[in-house]
Amino acid sequence: MAVESQRVEDYRLAKEPYYLPLHNEVELFEAAYRARLPVMLKGPTGCGKTRFVEHMSWRLQRTLVTVACHEDLTASDLVGKYTLRGDETVWQDGPLTTAVKAGGIAYLDEIVEARKDTTVVIHPLTDDRRILPLEKKGELVEAPDDFLLVISYNPGYQSVLKDLKHSTKQRFVAIEFDYPPPDLEEEILKSESGVDDDTAGKLVKIAEKVRNLRTHGLEEGVSTRLLVYAGQLIQGGVEPIAACESTICKPITDDLEMQRSIVEIIATQF
Amino acid sequence: MTFGPAVGNVGMYVAREMLVSVPEGQRQAYLRMVEEISDLKYQLGVEVARQLPRLLAEHDPGRVERYLHQVRAVAAAGWKSGVEVAKQLPDLYDAPDETLAEAYVAIITEATDSPPEDTETAQLAGELDALERELREMEPKVKRAQELRTQLAARDRRDEKRRKHAVELAAALPPILARLRPRYRPPYLVQVRLVAAADPEASLEAADTLLDLLNGERVTPEGAAEWVDRGLEVLARNKEVGRGYFRLGSKYSLQVLEELKEGLALKAVARVLKLYATALSGHEVAIRGTNEAADADAYGADHIVLPPEMRFFEDDAGNFTAYKVAAAHGAGRIEFGTYAFSLGDIPETVARLERRYPGGAA
Repeated sequence: MAVESQRVEDYRLAKEPYYLPLHNEVELFEAAYRARLPVMLKGPTGCGKTRFVEHMSWRLQRTLVTVACHEDLTASDLVGKYTLRGDETVWQDGPLTTAVKAGGIAYLDEIVEARKDTTVVIHPLTDDRRILPLEKKGELVEAPDDFLLVISYNPGYQSVLKDLKHSTKQRFVAIEFDYPPPDLEEEILKSESGVDDDTAGKLVKIAEKVRNLRTHGLEEGVSTRLLVYAGQLIQGGVEPIAACESTICKPITDDLEMQRSIVEIIATQF
Repeated sequence: MTFGPAVGNVGMYVAREMLVSVPEGQRQAYLRMVEEISDLKYQLGVEVARQLPRLLAEHDPGRVERYLHQVRAVAAAGWKSGVEVAKQLPDLYDAPDETLAEAYVAIITEATDSPPEDTETAQLAGELDALERELREMEPKVKRAQELRTQLAARDRRDEKRRKHAVELAAALPPILARLRPRYRPPYLVQVRLVAAADPEASLEAADTLLDLLNGERVTPEGAAEWVDRGLEVLARNKEVGRGYFRLGSKYSLQVLEELKEGLALKAVARVLKLYATALSGHEVAIRGTNEAADADAYGADHIVLPPEMRFFEDDAGNFTAYKVAAAHGAGRIEFGTYAFSLGDIPETVARLERRYPGGAA
């Protein structure tokens, strides 16, 4: 029986992704990697969780297999399944199996979105056994020392129906992220979008004010990623208020009065 | 061949071959005879024109004269019989018994003639004439009765609808009054009553719209009265258009409302201002109107007290900006705990504003 596995080298980052450390997250991650402890990244949308994993993958010189979890993602999608190729039955490794075999970083983004059976699959990988059972194949894949499982999780989204069980949560080292402090966020904006000091300062000021509306009708504040988009549009010649409306205001709310108040906040800066 | 001026219209009855068959010396006489008999009836002329050549060929003027006389006699009783007799007579003249033709003509003439005047028929005809005359005189009255029936049926339907809408209004008014601010209830009832008297269906629309206008402080009670007054004028001209007016479904209605609107109501923008001030200050802010802040601490930690209407500018945008400035001022007090503030504390901002608005009183 043939076995197909994806090319691991496809998952190696060739260029250093920009990342500006906010606290001690780099040291924490490295320590967890050395101790072979799985890592959970918590934080709001667009605050830099994925960029951080990419940065750490490059920093540790490990491949990075990222899986964007969704509600139709099954355990088979993660570990692998039999498929038909002509007259032959072929085992196709899933992305998690590929990452385990290669000894790189497996990153399950927004794990709570996936179906419940996927969390069961990762349990044996996250304790001292560090194995991945391929039940359909009757095989156990042992994770090498340099394998690391990372999951991300946005506490702001969770509800009674969609939350990680404590039996899962308590298997991970948690690194909590939030929006960067203003001075660092300005640095990030300048680096990522190329805007000048003044524009970066105004965008960060707008974000700071808009984030005050969390719990007052906004589910989440404006993310650093959206600020970078705003900066990129401004750098591309879009008028600043229009750029901010399209990136900071409209994506985060459909409430017209909320949108109007955000536009007024934008107008205080530009 | 031409027939000359004596021929007249006779060419219409006389075919070329008929004329040719008449001896040349008799042709003028032939045409004259056909023309004379045609004066009685066209069809008689056609038949006589066919038969005369045969009689003229016999060169017996007496027979021709007798023929024409007998045809005229029968035709006087009935022209259709005359045509048939004109066709048959020449054959009867050839019979050995010369009395046959005479008897034939007598029988046909009598058979064709109407019987002597009969009094019963005359009575019936007279009665019929009178009835027909009466029926003609009645026709406009019948038509009018039909019109009245249609009009009355329409009025019945209208009254039924009116009663139905009055019932709906009876059910709708109490909950509306419960939602209406107490001080607006008396003027509200006056206006709804005016519309209900004119058209209960329109009053259902007016009841809802006036609730929103008054509760939302989009118009004063006087403005509401003016709006209703103008709507009643529209309603008097056209019910459907009037109902649309009271539903705020017509351009004119909105236009009148715009004319009557007095400034920007705080209610309309309170949430936007609350979010704006909350975002600026980082504290959850409550916006209150000066008219409802009597029991609240106007300078409480999280209150910004603003006028219920802003009328500094003619347009909403200007009035909103005025509200925004006042809200920002309040947000500053909430964030920093004081109104104490000097432009000297923010020289860079002042300089920037002076650059942006040269000549302004920064």
